Amino acid sequence: MSEFILQTKDLSKAFGGLVALKNLDMSIEEGKITAVIGPNGAGKTTLFNLIAGVYSATSGEILFKGTRINSVPPHKRASLGIARTFQHALLFGNMTVLENIMAGQHIRSRYGILEAALCLPNAKREESLILLKATKYLNLVGLGTEKDKEALSLPLGRQKLLAIARAMATEPKILLLDEPGAGLTTLEKRALSDLIHRIIDMGITVLLVEHDMPLVMGLAEKVIVLDSGQKIAEGGASQIQRDKRVIAVYLGEEVEE
Amino acid sequence: MLQWLKKRWIYLVAAILLIIIPFDWFLGKYNTLLIFIGLNTMVTVGLCLLMGYTGQVSLGQAAYYGIGAYFSAILSKTYGVDPWIAMLIAAIITGTFAYSIGYLIFRLKGNYLAMATLGIGIIVWILFRQLSQFTGGPDGMSGIPYLSIGGFVFDTPFKRYYLVWFFTLAILLISQNIIRSRTGRALRAIHGSEDAAESIGINVAQFKVKIFVLSAVFASLAGSLFVHHLRFVSPQQFNFLASVKLVVMAVIGGLASIWGAIFGAATTNILSDELLLNFGELDIIVYGLILMLVMIFMPQGLFVKLKETITIWRARTAKKD
Ligand SMILES: Nc1ncnc2c1ncn2[C@@H]1O[C@H](COP(=O)(O)OP(=O)(O)OP(=O)(O)O)[C@@H](O)[C@H]1O
Ligand SMILES: [Mg+2]
Repeated sequence: MSEFILQTKDLSKAFGGLVALKNLDMSIEEGKITAVIGPNGAGKTTLFNLIAGVYSATSGEILFKGTRINSVPPHKRASLGIARTFQHALLFGNMTVLENIMAGQHIRSRYGILEAALCLPNAKREESLILLKATKYLNLVGLGTEKDKEALSLPLGRQKLLAIARAMATEPKILLLDEPGAGLTTLEKRALSDLIHRIIDMGITVLLVEHDMPLVMGLAEKVIVLDSGQKIAEGGASQIQRDKRVIAVYLGEEVEE
Repeated sequence: MLQWLKKRWIYLVAAILLIIIPFDWFLGKYNTLLIFIGLNTMVTVGLCLLMGYTGQVSLGQAAYYGIGAYFSAILSKTYGVDPWIAMLIAAIITGTFAYSIGYLIFRLKGNYLAMATLGIGIIVWILFRQLSQFTGGPDGMSGIPYLSIGGFVFDTPFKRYYLVWFFTLAILLISQNIIRSRTGRALRAIHGSEDAAESIGINVAQFKVKIFVLSAVFASLAGSLFVHHLRFVSPQQFNFLASVKLVVMAVIGGLASIWGAIFGAATTNILSDELLLNFGELDIIVYGLILMLVMIFMPQGLFVKLKETITIWRARTAKKD
C-alpha cells in the first residue's frame, strides 16, 4: 500500500486541438494539504474535473488509494471518498442552507422513494440522523444562525463556506477545493484558513487550487505549479517561492496584466 | 387538544368540506366537474414533481394518462379482466413504457427534451387512432364497466367522487412525503445544478428516469379511473391540447407546489367547462396566453402568489390591531 491517497500517471486531457493538461504525474500524500497553483488557463480546474470524473482522460491514469478509477462514473466517486467544490459555488438555489448540506448526506443514507412515500420508520430514523450530521457540518463552517435562509441569499463568502460544508457532508477522504478564497475579504480568508486546518485535523486530505499566494503559502505543505497544462515545479512552499521558472511564469503574468 | 385544533383547524375544515361537497344540498350538481378536477390533479402532481422540482419538461404527459385509460378500457371490456387488476396492469405497462422512454430521452436537455416528449405524446396519440382493432380508432370505445368493491358498484358520480378523491389525496400525500425526503432533496439538487448534484454522489440520470416513471404511473392511475368514470374513451381526450392543458394546470398551481396542483386543476377545468366552450378550437390560444402571462408575471404560479398575498395582507391587518 502506498501512502499516497491520490495519484495521476501521465495524465493528459485535450479539448480538440487544445491540450489543457499534459502528461501530469502527481502524488498526493494522505492527511496533508497540497496546493495546485498556476496562471489562468493552466489546467487546474481541468485537473479537478478529471479527478471528479466530469471529464474523461484523453490518456493516462488516475489512481485513488492505488486503484485505477478512470472508468468510475462521476456520481460514484463521491462514495469512494472524493468530494469537491467548484470555482463558482454552484449551490442549490432552490433549497435552504441546511437543506444544501443535508443533500450532501445523500450517499451516506440509504432509504429510497418507497420508504419516503409511505413515511416508513426507517425513513424517519435515517432522516433524523441526516439532520444531526448536517447540523454538525453546518456548525463546522459557522453557518448555524443562517440555516433556514435561502442558499443564494447568502453573501459570496458564506456561499463558499456552504459549498465546503456540502462537500464535507459526503464524508470524504479527500476534499478538492477550487479557489475557495476567490472573492473573499481578508477576514474571511483568515476564517477559511482556520477551517481548512480543522478539516485536516479531522484526518481529511485537502487538495487546494488557489490564486492567493499568502493563503497558499500559509496552508500548503506541498505546492505543485502548472503552466499551460504542464507541471513546471513541485516542492515545499518556500522552495517554490524561490524557483526561477515559477517566478518567471508569475512575473510574466503580472506584466501582461 | 385545543392546541392541536388551533394549529390544525385548516386541515379539519378541509376534510369536512371534502366529505360534504358531493351532497345534493351542497355542490352535488358539480360532481362530474369535481371528479375531473381530482383526476387532473393526479396527473398535474406528477408534472409538478417532474417539472417544478426536478426541472425536466414534459409536453406529452397526456400520453401516459391515455395509455392508462386505454389499457384499462381494453383489458376490462374486451378481455373481461377485473377492472382493479386491469388498472394495476395498466400502471405497470405505463411505468415500463415510461422507463424505456425516459432512459432514452433524459440525455436531452431544455428545448430538445421538450421536443422529444412532445413527439412521443403525438406518436402515442396517433397509435390510439390507428390501432382501431383494439382501441376503436377515432370513434373510441364505450360500454366500459364500472369499478366495484365486493358488491358495491361505483355507479353514480356521488360514489365516484369519493373514489377519485381518495386516490387524489393519496397521491398528494405520497408526493409531499417524497419532496420532504432524501429523494426530494436529490430531485431539487438536480434542478439546482446537475454538476453539483453529481459531485455529491447523486445519480442524476437515474433519478430523472425514476421521477418520470412515477409521474407516468400517477397519470396512468388517473387514466384508469377516468375510463371507469366516463365508461367511454377516445383519442382526442389525450391529444396535444390535453398535454398543454396539463402544463397550464401545473403552472397556474405553481410548478413547485404540490397542493397548488388542486388549484391549478380546478381553475383550468372550470375555465374550460364554463367559459371556453364558445371558443371551440381557439381555446388553445387562450391556454397559450394564460401560460405566457403567468410565466411572465408570476413565475412561481398563481396559487403561490395568492398565498403570499394573503400572508402579507394578514400580517398587515394584524399590525393594525
Ligand atoms: N470544457 C472545455 N472545453 C474546451 N476547452 C476547455 C474546457 N475546459 C477548459 N478548457 C480550456 O482548457 C484550458 C485550461 O482551463 P482550466 O479551466 O483548467 O484552467 P484553470 O487553470 O482552472 O484557470 P483559472 O485559473 O482561470 O480557473 C483553458 O485554455 C480552457 O479554455
Ligand atoms: Mg479554474
